[in-house]
Amino acid sequence: MGEEGTEGTVHLLCLAASSGVPLFCRSSRGGAPARQQLPFSVIGSLNGVHMFGQNLEVQLNSAKTEDTTVVWKSFHDSITLIVLSSEEGTSELRLERLLQMVFGAMVLLVGLEELTNIRNVERLKKELRASYRLIDSFLGDSELIGDLTQCVDCVVPPEGSLLQEALSGFAEAAGTAFVSLVVSGRVVAATESWWRLGMPEAVLLPWLVGSLPPQAARDYPVYLPHGSPTLLERWWQPLLDPLRACLPLGSRALPAGFPLHTDILGLLLLHLELKRCLFTVEPSGDQEPSSEQRRRLFRSFYTLVTATHFPPEAGQPEEKAEEVVHRAQVPRACYLVSGAEEPGTGWRLVALQLGPRRLLLLLSAQSPTHGLRGLATHTLHALTPLL
Amino acid sequence: MASPALCGSRQSPEGLPGDPSSQEEDEDCDPEDPVSDSGSYSSTSTDYDDLEPEWLDSVQKNGELFYLELSEDEEESLLPETPTVNHVRFSENEIIIEEDDYKEGKKYEPKLKRFTKILKSKKLLPKRYNKKNSNASGPVSILKHQSNQKTGIVQQRYKDVNVYVNPKKLTVTKAKEQLKLLEVLIGIIHQTKWSWRRSGKQGSGEKLVVHGLLPGGSAMKSGQILIGDVLVAVNDVDVTSENIERVLSCIPGPMQVKLTFENAYAVKKQTTQPRQKKAQSNTSDLIKLPWGEEDKDTQQNILNTPHIVMYLTLQLDSETSKEEQEILYHYPVSDASQKLKSVRGIFLTLCDMLENVTGTQVTSSSLLLNGKQIHVAYWKESDKLLLIGLPAEEVPLPQLRNMIEDVAQTLKFMYGSLDSAFCQVENVPRLDHFFSLFFQRALQPAKLHSSASPSTQHYDASSAVLLDSLPGVRWLTLPQDIKVELDTALSDLEAADFAELSEDYYDMRRLYTILGSSLFYKGYLICSHLPKDDLIDIAVYCRHYCLLPLAAKQRIGQLVIWREVFPRHHLQPSADSNTEVFQEPEGRYFLLIVGLRHYMLCVLLEAGGCASKAVGNPGPDCIYVDQVKTTLHQLEGVDSRINERLASSATPCLSCADWFLAGSHEKLDNLTTSPILSRLQGTTKVATSPTCRRALFGDYSLKTRKPSPSRSGGSDSGCEGGEGVGLSPHTTASQGSDGSEESGALLKVTKKKSALPNPFHSGNLKKDLSEKELDIYNTMKLTSGPENTLFHYVALETVQGIFITPTHEEVAQLSGSIHPQLIKNFHQCCLSIRAVFQQTLVEEKKKALNGGEHSGSTNSVSSLNPVKEHGVLFECSPENWTDQRKTPPVMAYWVVGRLFLHPRLQELYVCFHDSVTEIAIEMAFKLFFGLTL
Repeated sequence: MGEEGTEGTVHLLCLAASSGVPLFCRSSRGGAPARQQLPFSVIGSLNGVHMFGQNLEVQLNSAKTEDTTVVWKSFHDSITLIVLSSEEGTSELRLERLLQMVFGAMVLLVGLEELTNIRNVERLKKELRASYRLIDSFLGDSELIGDLTQCVDCVVPPEGSLLQEALSGFAEAAGTAFVSLVVSGRVVAATESWWRLGMPEAVLLPWLVGSLPPQAARDYPVYLPHGSPTLLERWWQPLLDPLRACLPLGSRALPAGFPLHTDILGLLLLHLELKRCLFTVEPSGDQEPSSEQRRRLFRSFYTLVTATHFPPEAGQPEEKAEEVVHRAQVPRACYLVSGAEEPGTGWRLVALQLGPRRLLLLLSAQSPTHGLRGLATHTLHALTPLL
Repeated sequence: MASPALCGSRQSPEGLPGDPSSQEEDEDCDPEDPVSDSGSYSSTSTDYDDLEPEWLDSVQKNGELFYLELSEDEEESLLPETPTVNHVRFSENEIIIEEDDYKEGKKYEPKLKRFTKILKSKKLLPKRYNKKNSNASGPVSILKHQSNQKTGIVQQRYKDVNVYVNPKKLTVTKAKEQLKLLEVLIGIIHQTKWSWRRSGKQGSGEKLVVHGLLPGGSAMKSGQILIGDVLVAVNDVDVTSENIERVLSCIPGPMQVKLTFENAYAVKKQTTQPRQKKAQSNTSDLIKLPWGEEDKDTQQNILNTPHIVMYLTLQLDSETSKEEQEILYHYPVSDASQKLKSVRGIFLTLCDMLENVTGTQVTSSSLLLNGKQIHVAYWKESDKLLLIGLPAEEVPLPQLRNMIEDVAQTLKFMYGSLDSAFCQVENVPRLDHFFSLFFQRALQPAKLHSSASPSTQHYDASSAVLLDSLPGVRWLTLPQDIKVELDTALSDLEAADFAELSEDYYDMRRLYTILGSSLFYKGYLICSHLPKDDLIDIAVYCRHYCLLPLAAKQRIGQLVIWREVFPRHHLQPSADSNTEVFQEPEGRYFLLIVGLRHYMLCVLLEAGGCASKAVGNPGPDCIYVDQVKTTLHQLEGVDSRINERLASSATPCLSCADWFLAGSHEKLDNLTTSPILSRLQGTTKVATSPTCRRALFGDYSLKTRKPSPSRSGGSDSGCEGGEGVGLSPHTTASQGSDGSEESGALLKVTKKKSALPNPFHSGNLKKDLSEKELDIYNTMKLTSGPENTLFHYVALETVQGIFITPTHEEVAQLSGSIHPQLIKNFHQCCLSIRAVFQQTLVEEKKKALNGGEHSGSTNSVSSLNPVKEHGVLFECSPENWTDQRKTPPVMAYWVVGRLFLHPRLQELYVCFHDSVTEIAIEMAFKLFFGLTL
């Protein structure tokens, strides 16, 4: 990758709102966790400006420089999270959602009670260490996109019904309603109750599993941030023998042999009501750009489309109510052609909204611009039975 | 006020040819004096034979001038409604007057001048009226009183009130001969005896005390004349009870008259800062002007919205820790804005800290204030910080970023630097005015155009979000012959070889070199000989002061603006140290804007360099103002042809969104064959040219003329439907049965109107051929496919600093319920698309700075840049759909933006119906073709 200094850096700061004591700082650089930290004075002033505003009943939300975006957010008047990102294509939307996920992760592993009622800062600091791994996975490059879309990353298994049956049986045997089968952070199958889990735990749990070291079975205590944030829950991650076939599915998301147009370099399908998504950058993996770049393109494009064009998804009540009323002009699709002037270089991105489904496609340069929408519509129809 | 102004205007070098002050030194005031009549003034400027121009009094101390005089009908309309009967009569008269003025051409002179001439001929005008020497002690002129007031003897105050006077009303009701003109014309009641008893004065004439105001009279309407005031002068002519009737009887026609009153009950608070007060009262007039009368309401609404502009210093003097010492300027002072001011610490800290941490400057931040999201944009220069905060609801962030850049640029253009704009006390009222206008434009864009028709008003308000921040000026494409004519006129002016200005004539250096000029008509740029940066600087200045809409909607009687400016193009230190490259002289630059009716001519002048150096704060020079005005007079004949172009059908053809909605009972797929559309298509073609009809769309037009039996039914119903939703008149008109004759006649008309000039065929030899080609060109739709599916477009030619977009007239033809919404949405969407493009441009610039070494770096692949095309598909349906049983019809359209980096920077935004797939590059080629200044 490029040379030093050109890469994006992300700094995440967590402070106790009342005292201003830093609880932890995490950083990443170029998509990988980094040790480099902000000087204490900077942390102090970042928190200071936010607090200063709050005292005057002005809530500072974000600030931008030419290449960096800063977002402040305080949770339950007890925890202040600040993120400072100079990654390319970063945006307030992305960072705000990141902070929501980070706070969710803290609740998941420490419990809300501990966070809203800080009695011993030093002890809390120690407890929060357990969440570093999960939090770092949000800062760095991830194969998943659920943190941004707030939808659960899923894969479509070849024999869905069979797995579903087996899973239900297991749930009964284990005496719990919440069971899911996860392959590298993506849900293959889950029980009804599992799907009823709210945000952000539905995204966080598979993500947590994905961030754990590989092992055959795991027993991990968690707090659910949304459903029952103070209740200790135990669950198991089973690996059933006949399901080994699912393993290679991981990053492909779609069953092998699913017909996709050859121009498609990646796809992201969201079901905004079910809160699930399919995300893959596998197709035509041998072509440029690399899958890592493709994932970044998707993140940038999703952010652009969601922040500027499409109405925000359900689940963000504060924005939605008034927006719908005076939107007589409803955006349905959107495309973007990128790359240098020469024909045959660059790539195309297209987004299409149809009912609750939203499809984003990354296409190679040879795909004609005027055919983008047709191709997307066609693909969406083909994918509809899957999600 | 007037006397310092005069000094200002006299600071130009002595002995200057044509300078009124020096001319009058050695001449008798006899108007018959041949020297003053023809000798010193060029033949073209007969207007100014023996008088100072009427704007001279308005010149400010620093040489600046902003003089605006609306034409009569506009002045009348700015006053509160007069009784309808009078109004109608008045406008009838008005038309006659207008025609006289135009036909007699040269005879046309400013009303005041005529008035004064008449006064002189009747020996009514005292000689001192010529203001021979402002320092002379003798004359009891108004000017003298005002200077008294300045020196501190504030016993008596004088106020000038402009009222509209229309003597033609008299002729209508001339039954009574013994009318008192003071009562009838102005509406002031003065009772002779009563006043005599009171004041005890007698003799040459007594004071004209206002004893009463006539209901509905001009005096009452003005709201500034109070009972007890004493009328001392009319248009600077001293009046008493003795001569008042004679003076008033000399008013030749409808006009503004300046009444000077001695104010009996002087308001005490005005005594503190007379100069600033004056500047403000000047400027508040200007605010009122573009906004009409509902000024107060608007202002109150705006005051309740949190918004602020601040200029802060980052260098704090720690020793003198005064309260608020870091605030160098802020506006407005309102409760809603107070909070934003109180948290300035946030902005200062962020600016300082984030720059340290990230190495880049902070550009914006966003806050939540009383549940309202406020964006704050930052503009940092050296150790000062300019901040503008506006609610996100009203102004999206990309727009705000563009706006602060515009503000910074305009202020630098006007004052040289932000520091010199903000740090001088005397600028404060000017800045207050500047930002008052700025915020009104930002928060109440519709109010700005309140005088226009609803459709125009809506179009202006909804397009301002995008167009106001484009780095370009709205350009009107004109037929070649008009263009040549305009070019010639401007070149003649720029050559500046009129007699007085030639070096040989007076054997001295000329005052200014004309660097270039640009001509606006009704707010459209129609001709420009200025470098792009200058053009944009001037256009942004005009935009800030709402001059362009003013010229578009109101006929300007006379507009003269003069000020020193600091164009970045000329003042930037040249990057090239090579001495062979042209170096800009260390000169000073002046902007002269002269407006006449719908024309506005902006001229950039250079002092120093070839011309003589400017000393002090020179005011506008009469000769230059005259010459510019003469140029505008020369162009009088052209405006009818420009109007013709404006009235002609749109090129490229536009469709109205509602037409497509009506046809959508059928499925969307059928749209391409929908009878309405083919009908429309056919008629549009007939209206343009039969030649191309045969060549390009032959079968279609034939079908529409004689519908084949198979489709006749559908065609008929479709036609009715089409008319129901309001086809533009010219299309329906040509649907007559004898189409061939009509189209033949129409052809002749359209040939004249050929609007898109073809640069490759301007030669005479090929004239016939090129005209044919032009016709084909005109009718060529921008969109592909059989229907014309283009709704709207904006094409920006960055290199030339111009953009084209449908004119107000073109948009007004497409009335409908959906269409205005579509236009609004189009501009908002384009703003977002453009924000993406701007990001790309920033990246490109960075790449260019790095020498393109990293062009192949993998890093850049991970972001979306460089984006070259971005489109959004929208669906819309009628707003008030009452039919519960049927689902409302839906119409889908694209908004597509395309950025061209090579061969030169261009941006194109189009809006078209979804039925046909379009290729933006092809549309761009058609639009940009032949688009040259």
